[in-house]
Amino acid sequence: MASWHKTAGALWWLCLLSQAELPSGRQTRGKVQKHFSTSSVLSAEKDKSTASKGSTTEGASKRQEGTAETPKQKLLDLIGNMKVEVSYRKKLQELKASENKKQDANRLEGPDSEGPQRTAEGIQRGKPLNPELVKAASAVASSLPLNKKQTESELLAQLRRHEETTDKQKKGETINIRDVISEMTVKKQSPAQRGVRISSRISLELDDDGQRIRPERFLSQSFDSRRSLKAGKRLNIFTKASTEPEHALKTVSSPTIWDLEFAKEIAAITAQPPRNGFEEMIQWTKEGILWEFPIDNEVGMDDGAEFHEHIFLDKHLEGFPKDGPIRHFMELVICGLSKNPYLSVKQKIEHIEWFEKYFEEKKELLQEI
Amino acid sequence: MAAAALGWALRAARQVLPSPCPGQVRSYYVDWRMLRDVKRRRLAYEYADQRLRINAIRKNTILPKELQEVADKEIAALPRDSCPSRIHNRCVMTSRPRGVRRRWRLSRIVFRHFADHAQVSGVQRAMW
Repeated sequence: MASWHKTAGALWWLCLLSQAELPSGRQTRGKVQKHFSTSSVLSAEKDKSTASKGSTTEGASKRQEGTAETPKQKLLDLIGNMKVEVSYRKKLQELKASENKKQDANRLEGPDSEGPQRTAEGIQRGKPLNPELVKAASAVASSLPLNKKQTESELLAQLRRHEETTDKQKKGETINIRDVISEMTVKKQSPAQRGVRISSRISLELDDDGQRIRPERFLSQSFDSRRSLKAGKRLNIFTKASTEPEHALKTVSSPTIWDLEFAKEIAAITAQPPRNGFEEMIQWTKEGILWEFPIDNEVGMDDGAEFHEHIFLDKHLEGFPKDGPIRHFMELVICGLSKNPYLSVKQKIEHIEWFEKYFEEKKELLQEI
Repeated sequence: MAAAALGWALRAARQVLPSPCPGQVRSYYVDWRMLRDVKRRRLAYEYADQRLRINAIRKNTILPKELQEVADKEIAALPRDSCPSRIHNRCVMTSRPRGVRRRWRLSRIVFRHFADHAQVSGVQRAMW
């Protein structure tokens, strides 16, 4: 019997403490126990069998244990309901604790005596934790046979931290997003505030958004009173930018040669050599060496003039005589110009005007003929 | 006008070309012949439109011949260097008048030199 208890207990705490590892010390069930769950199930079954055996042998002791079990069972049920750490490990602890109780009479006596001491300690340390939580923590710690005091203290510390964060959430600063974006200056924060901000940010991950907004609403008004609404730089998201920078620039006179040289120097220094082929091509395109793609056939010669201005050039022929070879000649000239895609409208008009001028000069000669 | 042309020629001869590019930088034209060729090119560019229009009058069957003779005289009066046919494609590096490949504007010797040093893009020694 004793050997059964010992081996079962050893297996239990081995399973609990080293979840990932498969300790080589297990000799009773070696290869079969690959998964923790199966091992726990098997161990649970075995424990039940041992428990039943134990109950049959220790009848009187069991009655005593029964009376003490109920408050502990209540606590353990609380643990099960609480979601301080929802982990498979805890569930197993509960399972084992419920079965461990029936066997170990000695162990029950220990934590009960230590429990009130620990609760007192928990109260003394800082903010008064919920006594139920403290008892639950002590019960959980007791279920772990190894380092009861350490686990107890750790659990209490965790509980205290949770309490602190919830309190700070309610009281402390919230993240005012507007201030963060618009006034990104180095501000002197007290370390407590900083800690509050960090903790509140961490708690963001855990809590829902709905729960976070409530404490903020109470505080937004208080913050607006601290910093006026119209102070600080305007972001100009919804309204056009004001003309303030223009006023500032008006006072500057035309740039001197030295200013130009300085600007050129700065540009030359800041212009880093291209890191790769793409940047080189970008630089070339800016300089004008490389064309812009997709290729635009009318890059340098966009007149803004419609096709009819290129083709129908009769209206420019008003200065010429309506009959005669000159008219004939000019009509041919216009026909040629209308088919010319390389000249702009201005150039074509200039062409015609040159001829007009030329024939004006030669008018006397033409009249002799 | 003559003074301006002279001044321009002097400036051209002693021109320090703006040199943002690394590599060989030439401060002067290779020789006077190259300079003259440069002059001709500039004048040809200036008078190109005028020449075209006067030639349009000259090379005509519609206009009266008297007008065309007058145009002949006019075009002859233009500066001689404004004629595009006086431009000669010399080598850009050595001003060699002959053996110049138009695509690279280089004489055959310079072209060979650069090609062997892999400084002409897309040019390789032929082997087949």
